[in-house]
Amino acid sequence: MTCETFRELLPLALYGEVSFEEEEQLDEHAMTCESCAEDRERLTQIIRSVGSEPAGVPPGLLSRCRRDLSARLTADGSTRRQPAWWERALAALNPSLSWIKPASALALLSIGFLGGRLMPDWGSSGSGSIDPASVSRVRYVDSDIPGRVRLVVDETRQRELTGEVSDAGIRRILMGALGDPSDPGLRAESVDLLGSSSDNADVRQALVNSLRSDPNSGVRLKALEGLRRYAAESEIRDALCEVLLTDDNPAIRAQAIDMLVQHKDTEIAGVLQELVRKEENSYIRSQSLKALSEMKASAGTF
Amino acid sequence: MNTHGATLVLPAQAGVMDEAATIRAAQRGDQAAFERLVHTYDQSVLRLAMNLLRSSEDAYDVYQEAFLRVHRNLQNFRFDCSFHTWLYRIVTNLCLDHLRKKKVRRQESMTVETETGIVDRAAVLPEERPGSDPQRTLFSHEVRAKIGSALQTMTPRERMVFELRHYEGLRLKAIGEMLGTTEEAAKNCLFRATQKMRSALGEFV
Ligand SMILES: [Zn+2]
Repeated sequence: MTCETFRELLPLALYGEVSFEEEEQLDEHAMTCESCAEDRERLTQIIRSVGSEPAGVPPGLLSRCRRDLSARLTADGSTRRQPAWWERALAALNPSLSWIKPASALALLSIGFLGGRLMPDWGSSGSGSIDPASVSRVRYVDSDIPGRVRLVVDETRQRELTGEVSDAGIRRILMGALGDPSDPGLRAESVDLLGSSSDNADVRQALVNSLRSDPNSGVRLKALEGLRRYAAESEIRDALCEVLLTDDNPAIRAQAIDMLVQHKDTEIAGVLQELVRKEENSYIRSQSLKALSEMKASAGTF
Repeated sequence: MNTHGATLVLPAQAGVMDEAATIRAAQRGDQAAFERLVHTYDQSVLRLAMNLLRSSEDAYDVYQEAFLRVHRNLQNFRFDCSFHTWLYRIVTNLCLDHLRKKKVRRQESMTVETETGIVDRAAVLPEERPGSDPQRTLFSHEVRAKIGSALQTMTPRERMVFELRHYEGLRLKAIGEMLGTTEEAAKNCLFRATQKMRSALGEFV
């Protein structure tokens, strides 16, 4: 082995990344070549002095990461269980289908539409042939023969729609979906989609409503994200303040404080002072204090 | 007839099988299983990100983005590599992105002047463990500043390979696999990284 080969293999050898044969040859060379032997000694020391302890993770960072991830997954995860509802919906909407009445669409809990279709054949249509889940409304009940019942029902049926979120009709359906109490995944996905249209005042209002009152923290978090660009608007600012003082999820409050303090408005000083006094989360308290000092307001009563 | 022997599973094997079962459960949408998976790996992910990026905020970002990506793409995980490799592929890519961005940012404001030259602020101000011997602290301070400046001279890839080999103790073969390159290329990176470490610490050690 030449000195040159020795130097090339040395670092790899010290990390145990050479073959058994190569290691043998290195040892052999070092026995006969003093300068290479010294070289090996020095590099071994250097690598040792680099130490094996990394920079270290600051206390609290892991738990903050876990907590925030968990909140995000709630939003993300619940939507994944049925990922396709809006893709199905958006995949097929044809502009010519704008006959869909927004009002009735709003009343629906999902992307099913009222067919208003009557049972085709009363005589043969036993309950076995209809799926009770597809009955959106019972219109008429009567009993002509004892033990026999006549029902007139509205049936929902699924229909696929496609279109841009910027389309007013689609937006309205999505906003309608925000009111579906049964499916947080549906609401989260709708909020997420609507977030891209937050330049629309109605959309912003819907997002504010979700932020204020949706029982699911993942949905609230997405609503918050959708409103990010409008944090300076007084209505959004008020909602952020309310969230900070009342939302029980610290991840959401932490997001809210970040958005709120982007715009140092003296009107929020009172809320910040209250947070400094009462907030249990240290990150939120420190952000509040920092914003106050940048606003040159005291942490006491304003 | 005693059939118990046949059902014995070695602990390591049991761990792997257990993980595969956890992954499958997570793929079916079991949120608790997913969290178990996260908690198995997230400490080392965070440590790697923290060590590479030397910033809590950057490490936080990498953590969130990495596990969100894992969550979104878990369906596509086909067990053709280990989950660890798959996860680290995502994490190292995110870290490399951050390192590249950081390099640009650093030229603006992240550096400070020290007697050893211009180095990364984070490398000069490492976490101080309380109660340590002042003499040793001074020494380790200087060494750490040197190490910090050596790390700065490495390219993001060299830095990554060095980090994974030196601190994480991963084999170059696995590192190559994670970074989507060959073992040979990983070797070259490690060689160059060591050279840089050597020229920074050479006269010091
Ligand atoms: Zn020699």
